[in-house]
Amino acid sequence: MEILRSIYEVAGFIVLIAFGVAALEGYFYYHFKCHDKPWFLPVALAAFPAAAVVAAAAVLGDYQFRLWFYFLAAEALIAAAFRYAIKGRHTVPYLLLAPAFVGLALLLVYPFVFEVYLSFHDLKLTTIMSWKNTGTLPFVGLRQYYDVFTTSPLSEVTFWALLLRTLVWTFTNVFFHVAGGFALALLLNNAIRFKGAYRTLLVVPWAMPQVVAVLAMRGEFHSQNGFVNIVISKLLEVFPFLASLGVAPVQWLSDYPLLTCTIINVWLGIPFMMVVILGGLQSISSSYYDAADIDGASYFQKLRFITMPLIKPVLMPAVTLGTVWTFNNINVIYLVTGQAGGTEQADILVSALYKAAFTYNRYSYSAAFALVVFALLFFISVTYLHGFDAAKEER
Amino acid sequence: MHRIKRFFSALRGDASAVLRDPIQRRKFFKYLLIHLVVVTAALVCIYPLLRIFSVSLRPGDKLFSTDLSLIPDNATFVAYASLLKDTMFLRWLWNSLLITLATSFIGVSLASTAAYAFSRFKFPGKKAGLILLLSSQMIPAGMLILPLFLMIMKLKLMNTYLGMIIAYSVSSLPFSIWILKGYYDTIPRSLEEAALVDGTSQVGAFWRIILPLSTPALSIAFLFNFTTAWNEYLVARVVLFSSKQYTWTLGLFELQGQYITQWGMFAAGSMLVTIPVLAVFLYSSKWLISGLTLGSVKG
Repeated sequence: MEILRSIYEVAGFIVLIAFGVAALEGYFYYHFKCHDKPWFLPVALAAFPAAAVVAAAAVLGDYQFRLWFYFLAAEALIAAAFRYAIKGRHTVPYLLLAPAFVGLALLLVYPFVFEVYLSFHDLKLTTIMSWKNTGTLPFVGLRQYYDVFTTSPLSEVTFWALLLRTLVWTFTNVFFHVAGGFALALLLNNAIRFKGAYRTLLVVPWAMPQVVAVLAMRGEFHSQNGFVNIVISKLLEVFPFLASLGVAPVQWLSDYPLLTCTIINVWLGIPFMMVVILGGLQSISSSYYDAADIDGASYFQKLRFITMPLIKPVLMPAVTLGTVWTFNNINVIYLVTGQAGGTEQADILVSALYKAAFTYNRYSYSAAFALVVFALLFFISVTYLHGFDAAKEER
Repeated sequence: MHRIKRFFSALRGDASAVLRDPIQRRKFFKYLLIHLVVVTAALVCIYPLLRIFSVSLRPGDKLFSTDLSLIPDNATFVAYASLLKDTMFLRWLWNSLLITLATSFIGVSLASTAAYAFSRFKFPGKKAGLILLLSSQMIPAGMLILPLFLMIMKLKLMNTYLGMIIAYSVSSLPFSIWILKGYYDTIPRSLEEAALVDGTSQVGAFWRIILPLSTPALSIAFLFNFTTAWNEYLVARVVLFSSKQYTWTLGLFELQGQYITQWGMFAAGSMLVTIPVLAVFLYSSKWLISGLTLGSVKG
């Protein structure tokens, strides 16, 4: 019974969205086709704001008079734009784009703008009830941004420590991803037997659902029944002298959480790089290597002067993507450390951001924090892409 | 018997011949080394999966043993049975499936038309639109969770399928548009022109010619949407709070809690979820990867 009800619920929602898309298309169709009719403006101003107010009241569940002003102003602007600027040109592409871009505007652009709004106001656990009822928030200016740099998002670790840790985390991970992926790809690029089988086995960490992979690996680092400590203690039984070198089972999750997360994430990330680099290696024509062989080039010379330059156009976008992904990797860190009693020794910027919002309920603070992180990431990406373009021109 | 003997003698002869010739010998050891390294790497890659499998077969009293054998003594399927009986695992799978199918459907439908506009038409704002799509990939995923969470709360959709579908539906949209645009670009225009001459509209040409021809790309986009939503954890964590509404990711995480770990059930659940995902991924990985690189090459 419940299954049927859930199907109805979701199917009904999809039908609702279909109606929404149809209404949207109708709305734009009217603007495109009737923009030169004399009754265009009055009809538009009469019909659409009213429909929008009704729809908003239906969705939000309460009627607000001020919405009339917003919708009227918006409709006046849109209608004027269609009448005097667009004049019915490019109807088909805009109609095709409308649903996707309205979706993006509502669920990507609007949240972004809303985050900016939040960061200048004060929304936290104590003000959220009044915000729900009245929709207004106290304005605090730049205080949240000031707090980002001066107070801890969690309980003790500071922004600067997190920043340093994030940079180290990103660099270490990307370095090992690329190094490991490169090494494996070079090995697999030989004419060896069982190549397909190896390739399949090697992408397993990437192919597994990340939640399962991370939780399984976390289990392997458990202090008593995790694989790592079992192996260490078995080694100690066989080679007792190792103990004098300081080898001993350790509490991975509570004493070395960041190291554990890094190992897990390196394990997770190598397959992607391997696949990308292998694809690049296979596209390099063997004639380069043949020519180098005739000239008597050594293996490392071939690697340095043929493989490296030719793999660069494939590698650079992958490294950029990998950097952004690693920088933003909440999943691994949250799944390894993020429960009650979890430590904050392993948190990087984004995971601290998530915890500040949803464990500590400091919404406005974390909005400001998110914007600072976004600015940082944007800066890093632009620098990267700039370097990439420069590398492109070099060739 | 005779054959086997000959086979072995040939093998021995070959091996000694290989090892006597210095060039052949170097080659032999080189390949031996490569195989050794790759096999080790492959073992590291699949070992956690094998371990989960072995834990899922353990009888209840041996869950915390330090045994490392792949198939434990007295292997049973008790963990699977109790997972299906005592937890809401099937319900979690169902929730995930419903949410994921709905989001993928919405995402691919929206992307297919938008990508067509980008592929076939020239219009003001085209470049800006494409740049918007690309730069949206730079927004940290964790960043938009908070405003989406607040929006969903405001719409009173917390703890519902609809809230999840809304939160997920556009997350893979830019990437899908990008893949589909790349694919449409490879379809010759003359096909549509012929249809237009025969009297269909532009929309008719898209519906009757382009869409059927792009089934492979549409499947990639669908698959991408599907896996993203299927494996998602962080949004689900904040939107859903009653265990009846959980997706499987939340359910599994709960089974592997810090203090009371339901090790056996967690392992059984992981196996049940991972095997189909792994199968689909390995089956489709070739296309998925070509889709990934398509975006970067066409940029």
